[in-house]
Amino acid sequence: MADTILIIAEQRQGKLNRASLETLVAGQQLAEAHGARLAVALPGKSVAEQATEFTTKKLDELYLVEHDLLEPYTPDGFTVALRQLIEQLQPALVLFPHTYQVRDFAPKLAAGFRRSLISDCISLRLEGGQTVFTRLMFQGKTNADVIPVGTPPVFVSFQAGAFRADAVKDGGKPEVKKFAPTLSAGQIRSKPEEPFREAKQAVDLTQAERIVAVGRGIKEPQNLEMVKKLAALLGAELAASRPICDEGWLPMERQIGSSGQTVAPKLYLALGISGAIQHVVGMKGSRTVVAVNKDANAPIFEVADYGIVGDLFEIVPALIETLEKGGAP
Amino acid sequence: MPEERIEREQLEADVVIVGAGPAGLACALRLAQLIQEHTIQGGDAPLTAESIYVLEKADELGMHSLSGAVMNPLGLRELVPDFEKQGAPLDTPVTDDAAYFFTQKSAWRFPLTPPPLRNHGNYVVSLSRLVQWLGQRAEKAGVNVFTGFAGSALLVEDGKVVGIQTDDKGVDKHGQRKANFQPGYELRAKVTVLAEGPRGSLTKQLVKQFSLDAGANPQVYSIGVKEIWEVPEGRIQPGAVWHTMGYPVPTDMYGGGWIYGLQGNRVSLGLVVGLHYANPLFDPHVAFQQYKLHPFVRRILEGGKLVRYGAKTIPAGGYWAIPKTYVSGALIIGDSGGYLDAQKLKGIHMALKTGMLAAETIYEALRRGDTSEAKLKSFHDRVEQSWVKKQLWQVRNFHQGFEHGLWRGLFHAALQQVTGGRGLYSRYPNRAGHEHYKKLAQLPGVERPSFKPDGRLTFDKVTDVFYAGTRHEEDQPAHLLVADTNICATRCVEEYGNPCQYFCPAAVYEIVTEGDRKRLKLNASNCVHCKTCDIADPYEIITWVPPEGGGGPHYEGM
Amino acid sequence: MKIGVCMKQVPAKDAPLRINDAGTWVREGDISYETCEPDNFALEAALQLKEKHGGEVVVLSLGPERVRQVIKEGLAKGAERALHVRDDDFHSLDPLQMAAALAGAAREENFDLILTGLQSDDHGYGQTGVVVAERLGWPHATIIMEIQVDGSALKVKRELEAGWFQWITLPLPAVLTIQSGINKPRYASLKGIMAAKKKEIRELKRADVLPADLAATMQTQKIYVPQKTKKTEFIEGAAKDAAAKLIEKLKHDARVL
Repeated sequence: MADTILIIAEQRQGKLNRASLETLVAGQQLAEAHGARLAVALPGKSVAEQATEFTTKKLDELYLVEHDLLEPYTPDGFTVALRQLIEQLQPALVLFPHTYQVRDFAPKLAAGFRRSLISDCISLRLEGGQTVFTRLMFQGKTNADVIPVGTPPVFVSFQAGAFRADAVKDGGKPEVKKFAPTLSAGQIRSKPEEPFREAKQAVDLTQAERIVAVGRGIKEPQNLEMVKKLAALLGAELAASRPICDEGWLPMERQIGSSGQTVAPKLYLALGISGAIQHVVGMKGSRTVVAVNKDANAPIFEVADYGIVGDLFEIVPALIETLEKGGAP
Repeated sequence: MPEERIEREQLEADVVIVGAGPAGLACALRLAQLIQEHTIQGGDAPLTAESIYVLEKADELGMHSLSGAVMNPLGLRELVPDFEKQGAPLDTPVTDDAAYFFTQKSAWRFPLTPPPLRNHGNYVVSLSRLVQWLGQRAEKAGVNVFTGFAGSALLVEDGKVVGIQTDDKGVDKHGQRKANFQPGYELRAKVTVLAEGPRGSLTKQLVKQFSLDAGANPQVYSIGVKEIWEVPEGRIQPGAVWHTMGYPVPTDMYGGGWIYGLQGNRVSLGLVVGLHYANPLFDPHVAFQQYKLHPFVRRILEGGKLVRYGAKTIPAGGYWAIPKTYVSGALIIGDSGGYLDAQKLKGIHMALKTGMLAAETIYEALRRGDTSEAKLKSFHDRVEQSWVKKQLWQVRNFHQGFEHGLWRGLFHAALQQVTGGRGLYSRYPNRAGHEHYKKLAQLPGVERPSFKPDGRLTFDKVTDVFYAGTRHEEDQPAHLLVADTNICATRCVEEYGNPCQYFCPAAVYEIVTEGDRKRLKLNASNCVHCKTCDIADPYEIITWVPPEGGGGPHYEGM
Repeated sequence: MKIGVCMKQVPAKDAPLRINDAGTWVREGDISYETCEPDNFALEAALQLKEKHGGEVVVLSLGPERVRQVIKEGLAKGAERALHVRDDDFHSLDPLQMAAALAGAAREENFDLILTGLQSDDHGYGQTGVVVAERLGWPHATIIMEIQVDGSALKVKRELEAGWFQWITLPLPAVLTIQSGINKPRYASLKGIMAAKKKEIRELKRADVLPADLAATMQTQKIYVPQKTKKTEFIEGAAKDAAAKLIEKLKHDARVL
């Protein structure tokens, strides 16, 4: 029997997390290369509706992992349920999107099989029958090529944006199966309450066409004034990396990155942002990235289409002057 | 600082040493040795190693220590006789000495390396590594070394120094306390030792308060701007010590370059410039960048990579500029006291030695229970009887000879060489560095430096500052106190063209134009703690005080 | 409350990293190190809990001799004791093994609570806390913004994606991974630094805490500086020229203005 590759998809509040489709792309590539069967599992209370999107995709099996105790999400519930599925399917590979929820339960699930989670991978490649996963280290300053060793299953999670969801191959007719795990309330130790938003969001950055984002390099809150002016001239929303919001210089809802918003505007202008990976994951899907940083080696330039190595306190006023002269876009 | 009264905790020590550089650590280590020797002989030492506190404003040992550096091992030999066996981190012995004269395009090697520049028997070292090593030894001996703490104020009672106050932590830029506010301590000590390096901020207070510089020549300083590079194999051999004169330092100025070969295809190079030049628009950092473009230097660096950057001042006034270095309850040692051979630009050995002599003085004083000025004067006597004095005396008039530039300086230096340091006069006078500036009106045709770094061999200040690894808590009061920023915006613009923008090697000072008005903008978090601004500002209105402890450059391997 | 805090030492943020010849780790001697930033917030959270509820804070660290610097910092800030799993080759352990070693060191301590930062600045596996919990058979919660202790139960505020949060109740003992920025970490005091010298640092070896049969399940083949995925067009020249050129390109080439 051929090996199985299992993808653990994610849904929340009735909606499929799009990152699941990106992971499916990785799964499709691997299944093709290894001649493996591809299975997708979606855990939850009642997930048939959220899973419909998978029924047209190229994959072999779709498991609706359903139990009343899988809503709301708990790490205990998910681990117990998925463990049973993995024991039954005995997949060679288990793939996840690297979401906050996956970070919460996947390491536990893997550890139960005495495996590490090869977490937060950005790409994969085949080398003589061996799959090599690439992940970032030192906050994005280096890459690391990682290979799994020992007996399967191998657990891997992929960073958002590592694969393009629109590259998913259609044309499968997966067999839809229900999987009912054995799960009792006593196995779930944590009791989550309803999720809430901290403050009403004044602005939805995910909808912005252009974003001007500032980082540590801005140095002082009063320096934001010139950036606001630039943003207004560009017709852009103002955003920031975490340190700026930590300082309270901008509200948290303007934070871009792993703990803030993930955005994909047409233009992303990063000012004085070094490009720590936590930030980059939130903006690297942007169509055109411009980075201004005094450090030519700043990792932000890795994702920039245009770069200016220089002092933002010189560049920003010059941009303002240029735009004022040339009229607003 | 907030007006509200701060309750400060008091701690009692026997000896408080401000600054964990070679001088301060040698003092601590020598004290620990004396305690140990005494205890072995069955005696009761007058103090314990635990009651010696060394304060260091850097967050780690050695991170604010920068030097060329070629070290004369004399001092270290006396402090740790078997230092080689003990694993002292000396990069490499000097294997090749050479001196060059640079014109813009050529380099002329002196057929014989002039005696002051001969370095056989010396070592090329990373001062920062040496300091780490000394500090670890002091800690092992039981001394309390506190990194991340600055000395903020002197405690003086009835004409006696009774200790220091450490920095307040967790204060925001408006002087308000943050959630993690931690008041500075009052550290009371029987003897306080100021080993802050060049232009120490507490030393400056002490010298002023006790008029310790009465009768001394004004101290003058040079600035050294340094980079470490990693270069392709074979460009320079480890232990090569090359000094250069001439380009890019104008001949009416004092200055020169160095290129030292380190282990692992690394090069230490830098430029020293006397901070007593006439042209207020001269920029030592730019001059250093130009230096790297000289064909001789470029050949070494081409294809290499910048590893670290830093800058520091050097007390160059020599023997006649040393203030009185003892008062009741306190001593001044090392670069803070100006103990540095201005001709060879070597001070590490003297820092170590004055630290040791201070330790011996203090030990004796504590044994007698007398830390009065009369008793501590014995530090001065010990220095006078040591090789420190002998070496300083040989070159007592050297730097003053360069008051009027290179050629006259070389003439005097040659004359002094054959007259045992005397030269034309028994004591050469000098003026303070900032008094040498000419007003722009007196310098027709002088231009602002316009240098475009290429980003490969040459860099702008901000980029270099990144390589200094400098980091400060951003939300804290400015640590560069400008007494009257109106002068910056008005008089200085006219008279001197705001030299702070040029002499500062870290782009801390920025003159911004707002409408038709100019304004001084401080980028305090760029500061690499070199103290040039405190020295070279023409109106003497800049005071450098230590920022929150732990802030500053990271001179790993410098 | 007896609280363990897992603290890691990582290369300083601004340290120019150079990779060793084997491509398996950085050149150790070349760089300075610091406490992993998220772990500082975890330590502060632990100290605040101790101050409120009484008890003891114990630092847990894994790594070579140099890691003592982090341990001493933790002790100087107020932790009572430390366990140091001394391992010069710790970077060759996989995340499961690292967490298992820490869990092994923690087991006999019978902590009520273990805190750690949400992710390390070097490996960035982001799973140590969760796996420590699993190895100890405890519940956990990740990316925590606020902690309330009520008898034998914890109520914690967990950060979700996109500005969402959630309160979770879970029983003690438990493991929490702490989000950065939730408090203002304190400074070490002079007295704290002196007191730290007398505090106990128990040294353990890998073999003492890591089951011999727990093999590595992943292997780092090579660490390297990434090849750019995008070709960055650097715009040079003085600020004014660069600004004009950039606007030009954004209008006509990228067509985003």
